[in-house]
Amino acid sequence: MTHHPCSVSIICQPPFRAASEAQTIKIRRMIPVAAALLSVFLLAGIPAAGQARDAKAAPATPGRTPDGKPDFNGVWQTMNTAAVDILDHTGQLGQPPGLGVVEGNEIPYTPAAAAKQKENYAHRATDDPTEANCFMPGVPRATYMPFPFEIVQTPKQVAIRYEFAHALRNIPMDGSPHPEGVPDAWMGDSRGHWEGDTLVVDVKNLIDQTWFDHAGNFHSDALHVVERYTLTDPTHALYEATIEDPKVFTKPWKISMPLYRHVEKNARLLEYECVFYLQEERFKDAPFHK
Amino acid sequence: MRTLLSISIATTFAIALLAPLNAQTSPAAKSDAAQSYSPPRTPDGQPDMQGMYTRNGAVGLEAHPPENPIDPSGKNALSVSARAGDELGPYPKIFGEGGRALRGGKGRQQRRLGIIDPEDRNLPWRPEQDAKRRDFLIHMNPPADLRHVELNARCALPGIFQGEDNNNPFQFMQRTGEVVFLYDYNHTSRVIHLDGRPHLGKDIRLFMGDSIGHWEGNTLVVDTTNFNDRTSYSREIPYFSDSLHTIERFTIEDANNVGYEVTIDDPVLFTRPWKVAGYFSKVPKGFESLEFACAEGSQTLIDMFGIPPQR
Repeated sequence: MTHHPCSVSIICQPPFRAASEAQTIKIRRMIPVAAALLSVFLLAGIPAAGQARDAKAAPATPGRTPDGKPDFNGVWQTMNTAAVDILDHTGQLGQPPGLGVVEGNEIPYTPAAAAKQKENYAHRATDDPTEANCFMPGVPRATYMPFPFEIVQTPKQVAIRYEFAHALRNIPMDGSPHPEGVPDAWMGDSRGHWEGDTLVVDVKNLIDQTWFDHAGNFHSDALHVVERYTLTDPTHALYEATIEDPKVFTKPWKISMPLYRHVEKNARLLEYECVFYLQEERFKDAPFHK
Repeated sequence: MRTLLSISIATTFAIALLAPLNAQTSPAAKSDAAQSYSPPRTPDGQPDMQGMYTRNGAVGLEAHPPENPIDPSGKNALSVSARAGDELGPYPKIFGEGGRALRGGKGRQQRRLGIIDPEDRNLPWRPEQDAKRRDFLIHMNPPADLRHVELNARCALPGIFQGEDNNNPFQFMQRTGEVVFLYDYNHTSRVIHLDGRPHLGKDIRLFMGDSIGHWEGNTLVVDTTNFNDRTSYSREIPYFSDSLHTIERFTIEDANNVGYEVTIDDPVLFTRPWKVAGYFSKVPKGFESLEFACAEGSQTLIDMFGIPPQR
């Protein structure tokens, strides 16, 4: 039984005036992946959530998940201005000042890349993929956007949901490798593992279209990010990311910042549908009078 | 503009996995089977339904539906495919087909799919609202304005009815106090809060609504409110009001199937609630969902309306 991948999806809908462009909008592929992602069956003998707890219930260690790992489940947010500029920056109209998050406050650009960053900076009002166009921020920028994100943690899989543009990362924890030969992705391909109590996420396959910040700091498709999430207490975590991209930087460099847990009782993500709001603004007078 | 255009070349892709799926999965287990099946438990005691699935058959066609404005069958005089002579067509037949009439599974066991209440699939429309929606549909092709563009074509969150069908894989994750749905479609996700919190206040409106839930045996019952007035059921039912209230029941039937039933209550559009049924079936092992970017590559609105004037 075959199914055309576009049989109902509207994303496959061709533009009304240029049907062929639909092909650029969507390419579906099939990839074999070595490891299975499916169910995790942990038999704990505990009655359903919301019902009375059984005496056999394993006692939960505070700050730990039932499998003994540090518990990152919940809603987090940074408290800095790195989305404006990851380096030290003074205030400007509409842009808060801030301390940088880059170790040594210096990004080791090649000379050509340094010139490109200056050009990006000059055109940031229109060219910033995230701020000006509402595209997914990529990694690590999604972490320090001024919006919360939620970590969902199970033994074989971690997911991170970001409020901004409903970006989503799926992080297999099963030891599977990065897939070969798949297209680059806005949020990359993430594979996680534990090093002691640190959640380490290796990110590759990142598209060359995202920036690190609104100041035009950028990378190529050779970007390789290694993130480290470490709980420092139940409501704080240290976020570190090593950034490597031989096409753009002369050596790897590092950012770090604290993450703050939302402790409000009803903490949750809402929706920031950036693209939708931008369309409402740009197309409010459509159809346009020529 | 330059940025938008250059990015469009690079972007949107999705990975779909699923060709052999329906052939492989047996649809259906009867409710008595569901009662006798004892699923594994998560550490906090929830019946465990984690895994990757596809949803089947939930969005079915009502009786006497209006012509689908983008129906590629050619039966609709308004459809772009019927407009071979003008600049808008022809519309390739591989694209959207809209809702399907669903009257049961093709597997070993019969299962009612799509609209199950009312039995005759005549939806309890308020007549003036039905007329309004039929008029709305006529203005979707070509779209009279932004309001008449399908939500999915705008890369917005799809609401709870769209985005799951059509072999877009879909994952359930469970952790203490939450069930999380991860969609392949447009990197959508959805959280069901099990911790007894109340719904959000009425001034917060969401594409995916605000979902609270609890387990009744092997059934996850999800109550969702706080929708905005933009979500849709199908091409033929292109919007709900913000009074929409849904109650979904996800029943673990066996290791591979989760039954689905949803009661749809929108007192602005309908005189009484109606019900839809479908099911989720597990995908074969070894597949992963990769990124389905949408907005990052979409030229749809520019193709419909042209490039917006600079302000």
